[in-house]
Amino acid sequence: MALTLKQQLSAPGGILKFLVKYNTIFIFILLVIFSALISDVFFTSVNLSNLLKQVSGIGIISIGMLIVILTGGIDLSVGSMVALLAVTFAILVNIFALPLAILMTIVIGFGLGSISGYLVAYQKMAPFVATLALMTIARGLSFIYSKGSPVTFTTVGGQYMSNFANNSTLGIPNIAIVFFIIVICTMVMLRYNVFGRLIIAIGSNEEASRLSGIKVNKYKFLVYAISGALAATAAIIVASRTNLGSPNMGMAWELDAIAAVVIGGASLNGGKGTAINTLMGVLILGLIGNILNLLNVPSYPQQVVKGAIIIFAVLLQRFESK
Amino acid sequence: MKNATSEYRLEMSGISKSFGVVSVLKDVNLKVKSGEIHALLGENGAGKSTLIKILSGVHQKDTGTVILDGEDITPKNTHEGQVLGINVVYQELSLVNDLSVAENIYLHKLGASKSWMNWKGLIQDAQELLDSLDFKIDASAKVKDLSIVQKQVVEIAKAISEDTKILVLDEPTTVFDPKDVKKLFQILFRLKEQGISIIYISHHLDEIFKIADTVTVLRDGVDTGSMPISKTDKDGVIHLMIGRELKDLYPKRDIKIGEVPIFQVKNLTAKETMVHDVSFNVKPGEVLGIAGLGGSGRTETAKLIFGADKKKSGTLILEGKEIKTNSPVDAAGYQIGFVSEDRKEEGVFLPLSIRRNISVTSFKSISSKLGFINVDNEYKKVLGLIEKLNIKTPNSEVNVKNLSGGNQQKVALAKWLSIDSKVIFIDEPTRGVDVGAKIEIYNLINEVAKKGVGVVVISSDMPEIMGISDRILVMHEGTIYGELQKEQFSEENILRYSIGEPLKQNN
Repeated sequence: MALTLKQQLSAPGGILKFLVKYNTIFIFILLVIFSALISDVFFTSVNLSNLLKQVSGIGIISIGMLIVILTGGIDLSVGSMVALLAVTFAILVNIFALPLAILMTIVIGFGLGSISGYLVAYQKMAPFVATLALMTIARGLSFIYSKGSPVTFTTVGGQYMSNFANNSTLGIPNIAIVFFIIVICTMVMLRYNVFGRLIIAIGSNEEASRLSGIKVNKYKFLVYAISGALAATAAIIVASRTNLGSPNMGMAWELDAIAAVVIGGASLNGGKGTAINTLMGVLILGLIGNILNLLNVPSYPQQVVKGAIIIFAVLLQRFESK
Repeated sequence: MKNATSEYRLEMSGISKSFGVVSVLKDVNLKVKSGEIHALLGENGAGKSTLIKILSGVHQKDTGTVILDGEDITPKNTHEGQVLGINVVYQELSLVNDLSVAENIYLHKLGASKSWMNWKGLIQDAQELLDSLDFKIDASAKVKDLSIVQKQVVEIAKAISEDTKILVLDEPTTVFDPKDVKKLFQILFRLKEQGISIIYISHHLDEIFKIADTVTVLRDGVDTGSMPISKTDKDGVIHLMIGRELKDLYPKRDIKIGEVPIFQVKNLTAKETMVHDVSFNVKPGEVLGIAGLGGSGRTETAKLIFGADKKKSGTLILEGKEIKTNSPVDAAGYQIGFVSEDRKEEGVFLPLSIRRNISVTSFKSISSKLGFINVDNEYKKVLGLIEKLNIKTPNSEVNVKNLSGGNQQKVALAKWLSIDSKVIFIDEPTRGVDVGAKIEIYNLINEVAKKGVGVVVISSDMPEIMGISDRILVMHEGTIYGELQKEQFSEENILRYSIGEPLKQNN
């Protein structure tokens, strides 16, 4: 049985261990306190809801990235997929009814992800290479279909989506609610569903999984397809926020997603990582951007700080494994 | 602390070590003379590995002293240990697969010397060293193309390529067949004559009594005795190891074996390995042993049946019906189990908890249609197995990498015992497992057979395979060379078939 919180804390060196074990949560809390101290604007509902809106898109693709990384893979295509699928959604929502447009976009995302999945699982291509190729293809297609300029929503359905994406329910931005629901579903799936258990098993030892009679290829295929579907969800959200789909969306988002997953303590070798920690990783990255913006720090120094935080977080995790 | 008059080359005294709350070594002493073979014995988890790792610099001791040639030493890493002349050949091979044998042997020097490589000289030196060991290995071959025995030899060559004072061998012979073991012993005797002190860790007591001069026994992190080998015997050592007398290593079997085979293999031939024309059957309740030298195709046969390797031709018949196993998924679907000989690479999920390891094969019985796991049932099942298999762990959430070899093996077994298998292949059930855990695993095998399962055990350990099998198949060069009934069991008969000789007539 798992140790209770009390037992963990009262063991020798327990508090330190506890801190190290939940380091992402503590970094997050520290950052929140720090942010609140140095900026009066931080704890205003406008700022907080802006922060949540900003991170929701990247957050959703980070969850897709997490499940791919859990199998020991990587998906570099998600950023470009957001662009292609945002353009796709903008085109579709101008033609079809809203629910149909949403459904079609997600199915297309799933299909695009399936291409990576097929190449990795059945053609034994290195995930880095397969998704790198998809990344270029998706970005290229997004420029082709949009003819290089943003596609604006023109219909009632598009307007409805735009309202949904920019409004809040009970003070929480709707799109953040979508993100949180995805996080919770993933959390449940990883802990209590066979699918989640098996992808973790595959990531921790693929050969042992194969010899345990697990359909390794099927699951490897599926994680990329799901990552594609989540990229579609993120694309719908970001397009709706701005009322348009642009081929320039999602630039380098795959890197932010990887960063969030890594800050969340996942191992790029696979087999280790949780949805809640990835959520923390996403929030930490978002918070850093937010607080630096509030302090009027220009974007280049922001990148330096982001990088430093990634190093710091991963160094902290090394204590955990000892 | 100079102590030049000591008769010992290495004196480890009062060594204690804890990892967190777990105390692994308590006030342990190990004294080794120069030019002696010193056997270090103990069950898995007794602390042997930790003691060696302190000696070699992997871990640092909490208290105690280590004196080597009169000098107080505390190596902070393995490199410092090597500089001091302490070299360890670990059970887990640490070779770089994509480099050549020669590069592996001199890996520690590749970075240290000049900037330009002298490839010819390197390969020449390595070849001479290997030839002196009397194993035919090409120094320019890639390590990944070697057999596991050859890899182990390369490990030993690597260790003695340096200026070695203390050579530690951790279970060096688990992968060796008797012929190779003999060669290894000759190497060790030669090294001993050169004045090198050898610390030899093994679970094979026969070996210990053949080669060791002195024996030190650890139990639960305490040294329970150290004496010249001539002053003790097997029972004495076992008593020190497990703290009780050992009557029967191989439990009595009184199981009714079915008449009709539960599983038949006919003319099975592999596409990519040398396995060909393998035919045999196993009956419900039977423990069928497969013996043979390393490389005779035993593991490959099991993997072929399990669908992990590709078949060229042949038929499998399960309970009277022909089945096709093109992948492990198919095999598992037919309730055929396979426990790999390579526990760490193919058997268990080291970074995952015991619970997650065990339940990986049994989700069908503990989850709903949509795949949601009934965690209560899962715990019930896993905790039941932990208790039944006597896996030594505080709880089910401990990661498998933190368990000893014997307990890891039990987890690998539990994975297949948790589902109702019809046939189960167990490859090297007790490799690197201590005596106490061995008996438990044998009992387990019997219990599985009792349920009417056909159990196929592959083993290189002759006493073991004779002790637990009802019938033994002996493989030679990729096919089954002979079959031995219980009354024909003897090391000689197994060996004769293994090397492709007929039995002596008077048998």
